[in-house]
Amino acid sequence: MESQKFDDSRLNNWLSLGFRLGIAVCLALVIIGLIMLLSLPGAKDIQPLVRLDQIPAATVISVGILILLLTPIIQVILSIVLFSKTRNRLFIGISVAVFCLAAVSLVLALV
Amino acid sequence: MLLWRTTLLNELSLGLNLWALGGTGLVAGLLGSALGVGGGFILVPILTLALHLPIHVAIGSSLVAIVANSCTAAGIYTKAKLANIKLGLLLETTTIPGAVIGGLVVAFIAPSILSALFGLVLLYVAYTMVGRRYLVSEDVLSADNSVAPDNTTDSLSGSLANSYYDRNLGRVVAYKVSRVPTGLGAGFFAGILSSLLGIGGGTIKVPVMNLVMGLPMKAAIATSTFMIAITTTVGALIYHYHGYIYPFIVAPLVIGVVIGAILGTELAKRAGGILLRRIFGVFLFLVALLMFLKTANVI
Repeated sequence: MESQKFDDSRLNNWLSLGFRLGIAVCLALVIIGLIMLLSLPGAKDIQPLVRLDQIPAATVISVGILILLLTPIIQVILSIVLFSKTRNRLFIGISVAVFCLAAVSLVLALV
Repeated sequence: MLLWRTTLLNELSLGLNLWALGGTGLVAGLLGSALGVGGGFILVPILTLALHLPIHVAIGSSLVAIVANSCTAAGIYTKAKLANIKLGLLLETTTIPGAVIGGLVVAFIAPSILSALFGLVLLYVAYTMVGRRYLVSEDVLSADNSVAPDNTTDSLSGSLANSYYDRNLGRVVAYKVSRVPTGLGAGFFAGILSSLLGIGGGTIKVPVMNLVMGLPMKAAIATSTFMIAITTTVGALIYHYHGYIYPFIVAPLVIGVVIGAILGTELAKRAGGILLRRIFGVFLFLVALLMFLKTANVI
């Protein structure tokens, strides 16, 4: 029981760190991108959106969003690694299943 | 594609501003993280009806905002040991296939009939959530489970048992998870409905975890938040791939949502389980109302 509690605690700590790190990096890039947008001449409103694909600010924000979207997937991979370290076969299997199901549903939706 | 984007955004830029988007995100983040439901129920109507975004852009932006919301809240809830990670991963094994099947059968089911049926189910669940009998049981649940829940660590139920420090009660609350097969079935059902109706699965998962599986309300909310982060990511990546995610629309939403989620999780951590249940019950009544309005083509 104590060993399980220790494992659960370590799992929570690592996943919490992963989530917070993902959000922090995303937020930093999104804020930098918005500052870049607002510092453009004549960009007091969102009018520069018409040049979306040519604005570097859009690329910076897009990278931040992509990091955000990959964060939960990385957490599932992190769970697999952490369960592997404690040799918890049941939850290694469950985590691998979740990862595969997410990947398959993504592929199914894109093809 | 570029021409389409340019034309669309020319129209959009007339009615949008950063503050409106940021404010919308803040409200959605606050309510979504405090109740464990994501926040799409607020985002999509506001983005389409008030800010006049095309529905695909609104849904895509909403999905990204929900991921930001659930990741922020999950980071806080997992640190506070409120989220039951093992249970969340286990329930995801049926929720994701449910969402895929829902996406495949969506063309064969009349959405209006489905909305009406779902509205009726929500009304019943809402009544159950605020009903006196269950409000008492939430109180008893918190008191009775303050001892070690299960010593059979080799069983699935035993390994799903968890505990956390409840700031509102001022002590550690330990609990065990019961009726796991029912929970897995409900997860599958939640996945189907989330695809068919465009709602977050939290509306179903939170009551099921709380009323059926025996999780305290706070643990149910936190676990649902962790699950939403995984489930919604797949949908958001699909919208991203199809070009429906616009950086300058999503950016203020994300900032607002993250601030709202930090406030919402703090609210949930400090509030009592019974208060959270009452608020969740009212929320379900409102979603049921929205479902009936949708059936009647009012919205």
